[in-house]
Amino acid sequence: MSNVLGSGLVEFENLVKDGAVELLNHIEVGDFSGAIKIIQELSEARHNSFYNEVGCLTRSLHDAIRDFQIDSMDLVVGEGQDSATKITDASDRLNYVIETTSAAANKTMDMVDSSVPVASELQNQARVLRKDWSRLIQRDLTPQEFRDLYKRIDVFLSYADESATTLHSNLNTILLEQGYQDLTGQVIARVNDLIRDVEDKLVHLVAVAGRVDSISGIEHKEKKSDHDDTRGHGPAINKQNNPEVLNSQDEVDDLLSSLGF
Amino acid sequence: MKILIVDDFSTMRRIIKNLLRDLGFTNTVEADDGTTALPILQGGTIDFLVTDWNMPGMTGIELLRAVRADEKLKSIPVLMVTAEAKRDQIIAAAQAGVNGYVVKPFTAVALKEKIEKIFERIDAAK
Repeated sequence: MSNVLGSGLVEFENLVKDGAVELLNHIEVGDFSGAIKIIQELSEARHNSFYNEVGCLTRSLHDAIRDFQIDSMDLVVGEGQDSATKITDASDRLNYVIETTSAAANKTMDMVDSSVPVASELQNQARVLRKDWSRLIQRDLTPQEFRDLYKRIDVFLSYADESATTLHSNLNTILLEQGYQDLTGQVIARVNDLIRDVEDKLVHLVAVAGRVDSISGIEHKEKKSDHDDTRGHGPAINKQNNPEVLNSQDEVDDLLSSLGF
Repeated sequence: MKILIVDDFSTMRRIIKNLLRDLGFTNTVEADDGTTALPILQGGTIDFLVTDWNMPGMTGIELLRAVRADEKLKSIPVLMVTAEAKRDQIIAAAQAGVNGYVVKPFTAVALKEKIEKIFERIDAAK
């Protein structure tokens, strides 16, 4: 692909080389109007090859974006979507990831919230019964207390049965909620493909722009974009490769204690 | 003891709220960034602030600086719970007067340990 896209520029370079020789010939024999005609031709060729190149790149970028499809997701987001702007679509899909992960996290926490009191109550009842049970073992119960304990054990056993059923069902719900990982993973993988594809085209665009610069003699000052710490960076990816990022709570604690914390 | 939890993600607020409840802190309020947190703090009933760093609007570090610059709020203990883990950022937070720094993802034990440490210091200073 890059050969096809770059061919216009190679052609242009050859044209410049040939033109230079011709130009020199015209000047040597004193034919200045002929020389100026060649300069004009070169200038036109320069414009044409540049615009052709940009045209090709724009088309291939547009194609890449248009070709972006997430077939499996069509079931989830709905049908009949306009395929014109897949970047917007990708953005929608990422929002879907945020919503899905948030819903799964909340559902999981709902289940934890409803399980914790059940487990606590089970624990409380078991502790109370165990105390009386050990008194029974030590033959320290009155007949009335024994009859009472007898009934309470029965109540407890049926409560334990019910509680275990509730906890079991809550745990199953939590398990099923983890399915979000599959759905969101698929979406993210597709969006990732689009980003890679677009990046490839952009890298090519930059390479071509570099060639155009070298032909036209334009120089750019490099802008240094340093992200502001105050705004935050989000979670660090590839922590191990970045000496500026601390890898664990222990390292954070060490740094703080070295600062007198 | 009334604790303000500031994080732009409701799930994270809920996790912190539940962990705090397990530690016996049941009185909590929530805000989703520094801008909404400040008026709550200025209401004067907050005893402890737990904040994220990276939030839209006013960030956690800006909130921390605003709290320390406010005569009425400056003694409120601030615990930062954040994914921001750059050396310079942690130093900046320490210089701004943070009382504890927990990096996400964190454990219940780490959160408990930092909170207890903060209270120990406060009690020792009394």
